[in-house]
Amino acid sequence: MTDYGHDLLFGTFTTPTVQPVRQAVDLAVVADRAGLDLVTFQDHPYQPRFHDTWTLLSYVAARTERVHLSANVLNLPLRPPAVTARSAASLDLLSGGRFELGIGAGAFWDAIEAMGGRRLSPGQAITALEEAIQIIREVWAADKPGGVRLDGEYYRVNGAKRGPAPAHDVNVWIGAYKPRMLRLVGRVADGWLPSLPYFQGGPADLVAMNERIDEAAAAAGREPTQIRRLLNISGEFASTGRSLLNGPPEQWAEDLAGLTLEYGVSAFILMADDPATIELFAAEVAPATRQLVAEERARAGR
Amino acid sequence: MSGNYGHRLEFGTLVTPVNASPDNPVALARRSEALGYDLVTFADDPDQPAHLDTWTLLAWVAGRTDRIHLAANVLTVPLRSPAVIARSAASLDLLSGGRLELALGAGDRGPDGLAAVAARGGARLDPRAAVDALGESVDVVRAVLDAGDPDPVHYDGEHHRLDGAPRGPLPAHHIPIWLGGTDPRLLRLVGAKADGWLGTLDPAEPDAVRTSNKIIDEAAREAGRDPAEIRRLLNVTGRFAATRQGFLHGPATGWVDDLLPLVVENGVGTIVLTTDDMATMERFAREVAPALREAADRALPAPLPRTAQRGRAVRVKRRPGIAYDEVPASLADRAVEPGDIDYAKVRSNYLRGGAPGLVLRPRTPAEVADALTFARAHRHLPLGIRSGGHGISGRSTNDGGIVIDVGGINGIEVLDEDARLVRIGPGARWMDVAAALAPHGWALTSGDYGGVGVGGLATAGGVGWLARKHGLTIDHLRAVELVLADGRVVRASETENADLFWAVRGAGANFGVVTAFEFEADEVGPVGWAQFALDAGDPAGLLTRWGAAVEAAPRDLTSAIIMGPPRMGQPAVAQVMAMVDSDDPATIVAQLQPVADVAPGYDQQVVITSYASVMANASDAPHQAQGEPISRTGLIEHLTPEFAAAAARLLASGVVYFFHIRSIGGAVTDVDPDAMAWSHRNANFHVTAFGRHRARLDALWDGLLAEHLRGTYLSFETDLRPERLAEAFPPRTLARLRTLKERYDPDGLFRDNFAITPDTASRTTP
Repeated sequence: MTDYGHDLLFGTFTTPTVQPVRQAVDLAVVADRAGLDLVTFQDHPYQPRFHDTWTLLSYVAARTERVHLSANVLNLPLRPPAVTARSAASLDLLSGGRFELGIGAGAFWDAIEAMGGRRLSPGQAITALEEAIQIIREVWAADKPGGVRLDGEYYRVNGAKRGPAPAHDVNVWIGAYKPRMLRLVGRVADGWLPSLPYFQGGPADLVAMNERIDEAAAAAGREPTQIRRLLNISGEFASTGRSLLNGPPEQWAEDLAGLTLEYGVSAFILMADDPATIELFAAEVAPATRQLVAEERARAGR
Repeated sequence: MSGNYGHRLEFGTLVTPVNASPDNPVALARRSEALGYDLVTFADDPDQPAHLDTWTLLAWVAGRTDRIHLAANVLTVPLRSPAVIARSAASLDLLSGGRLELALGAGDRGPDGLAAVAARGGARLDPRAAVDALGESVDVVRAVLDAGDPDPVHYDGEHHRLDGAPRGPLPAHHIPIWLGGTDPRLLRLVGAKADGWLGTLDPAEPDAVRTSNKIIDEAAREAGRDPAEIRRLLNVTGRFAATRQGFLHGPATGWVDDLLPLVVENGVGTIVLTTDDMATMERFAREVAPALREAADRALPAPLPRTAQRGRAVRVKRRPGIAYDEVPASLADRAVEPGDIDYAKVRSNYLRGGAPGLVLRPRTPAEVADALTFARAHRHLPLGIRSGGHGISGRSTNDGGIVIDVGGINGIEVLDEDARLVRIGPGARWMDVAAALAPHGWALTSGDYGGVGVGGLATAGGVGWLARKHGLTIDHLRAVELVLADGRVVRASETENADLFWAVRGAGANFGVVTAFEFEADEVGPVGWAQFALDAGDPAGLLTRWGAAVEAAPRDLTSAIIMGPPRMGQPAVAQVMAMVDSDDPATIVAQLQPVADVAPGYDQQVVITSYASVMANASDAPHQAQGEPISRTGLIEHLTPEFAAAAARLLASGVVYFFHIRSIGGAVTDVDPDAMAWSHRNANFHVTAFGRHRARLDALWDGLLAEHLRGTYLSFETDLRPERLAEAFPPRTLARLRTLKERYDPDGLFRDNFAITPDTASRTTP
């Protein structure tokens, strides 16, 4: 039983398809109006059937009012960190503090290389991600004296000017599964952003991974509660309960409350490409889950 | 002297993307739009922490504006991946509805600029290498944006390397690439490769524009390009004052005098006002821009039409025998030729890959007449007429010919609410028609697919989901307006040009291009909609039982059956669909039951829904077909055991991959066979087969099925042998059509969609 006690967030993971051109935008507007907390898009810059995720996030930010936005997760190898830092701060400023930085080390190296990116081994890519996060945070630290310098193995920044600072404390969320990445999450991230369908053992896999993150956090002198646990989920609404996240909204709420109270997940990002599912998730699942978790936390005196 | 290059004069603004109050540059962009500027641009200085990231700002501003075009001024390429720039540009162009322009720079604003690039993690390049790298970036961006080419990008440059990156997405418009800078090497690069040059006016160097143009023009000619391909854009700064103080410093009239020579003598096509001051922006828009445009118009000949301005890269892809530079002015801007960005979207239709030499896209009857005038001058080439581009016969595209695409004439308008009279353009799709009529409680029976265009179907017949209850689509036609082969625009109805109205309903493709249809819609409420998967282990028995059940059913019910070839190890399954024009569940079930009972079922789904939602089954994506469809088709009165046995043998051959029978009959039979050119009023079914081999399909069809069929429906036919025309039109009908063809299209301009030969007997020999 691990509950890190964060407020719950509910969001969408929508396919950034280019055809129909505005589908992803329209679904984001649905999520915004339905009162969800977060709209996210996967980022595969080598995939011409998808919009460029940065462009889409910026455009969607301009078309929405309240919802926060993030890539899920940003493809670092094709997005240089110094530009990403400034772009992220800019989008946060333009949107009034609604941008969060979900970022990943990259995968699909053949496709990255085909686009002119540099192929890295998984281990190298983790080091590169750590360097990139350092550069990004340094660029955002506009008030620190001196330019940004980092003579990393994969990124070199030599006296770049700092700033702009984002409008709010932008969260850095990392998509991670393997031990080294999980340790990186514990050391430097504000959140961990995996996908439930990737867990071969189901939600039970969260236990060992949470432990690794918590250990790494403690070793770095951080509290495990400094790291929000987010989760991409998929499911189906059905009139009768069949399995985890396959059943009526009340059952979804119980399933999700269980994930919060037992596994510490405090942000649920639903893979959904239709307005009805998004609206049902926002109108019925989110409030019921919040209520169940609040009741249980109150009962447990947390 | 470089002179003018014939571009339309445009105006833009250059706004500083300060981040201290991020709403400010956004407000200036919106103000630029409201003031009528064509373009808003933002500086991109990667070493300026007081600025917003320009790309992010452009995408944000795209979300907050509707009309104005957008560009960086200029985008610092070395800090970004050119392949990602290309995909981002396509995305933003799509999201903004075709409003993005790409202005790129090498980051070489002196050694400081290049050092700043290096400081932020970019490669450390000398000025020469920076320009070389920019040239490679242009190549990469162009290659990635060239989404019509199916091969992935392989590019082996010194600075950039792509190894099998897929192309696309296809942007909404041709995104021009402008390059910014003053280095002579960069100017030569502009001449060799770019669509435009973006300079900055330095009052201290009045001759700089002229000397830059000279270098650009020479480089362009060396590359085999016309210098007029390259737009010249100029950033200018000035101050308004009551009296003249100097160059661009004084009253608006002085600004006009200062700027006019740049336009007239130095060929500047876009003037970009550098200002963050709303008052200056407004005064320039109100007092300088219109006066300057007027003065330039007086001094210069009219800008050339767009077809004549197409660059070398487009011209080299032109097909022989087409007078591209003589496309009528009314059509030139929207015409699409093989080198154009839109070509990938218009070359093919739903089932047939095409490679037309020119696609004309008229929006009015007068423009259709212009297109036909152009087509008459090109009678040596194929001519396709396209509305929705769905036609199974595939006649709406061709190879090397002309296509007149009336997709843009797509209005849907109620003329008379009481009479349920609606006027519909040929380019509307039937799903759009269904959606527009639904709120009135109406529907018009059409085909079975929502992506079909009105024009092709409503000049051929229209066998749809309400056929047995409400007849053919053409049975609802009350009048048409069409453009004849000689360019005349005429109206035809029972009382005006009645013979033409008779011919258009079934043989319209031979007589003109219809630009408006007036239909009487039916009152249609919620409908029952069923889909069954039935055991087709006994295909002949299934077909006869299904045919009998459908014929016995009340007219509310219209049905279709789809069967495929035998598949190893899998049970044979037929799909049966049926619509019941009733909102009463008991009636629907009662009428469906006999159809469902014709064979054991694997799966079934029955819903009460609207005609519009059944028709909403097509995507908005452009047609991307390749190759040629191979089909045969015909009409039949009853699915006799003999026919069904023949059909079963056809299916068992494996030659047919899709076998489709749709019910007609019912209300269709109420109409006099002589009432219109579509005469096969006794047919209860429409049979179609698709195969992969022309000769094999023809042999089996001719040998097995043909003897059972009486008449055909040309929209589904791809066989070009002359017998097909005689099957489509019985002798008396065909004779009348030939007489009318002689009257309305004696030279056979409309001959590429089952040509009727004119009856020349009445011609007087000269």
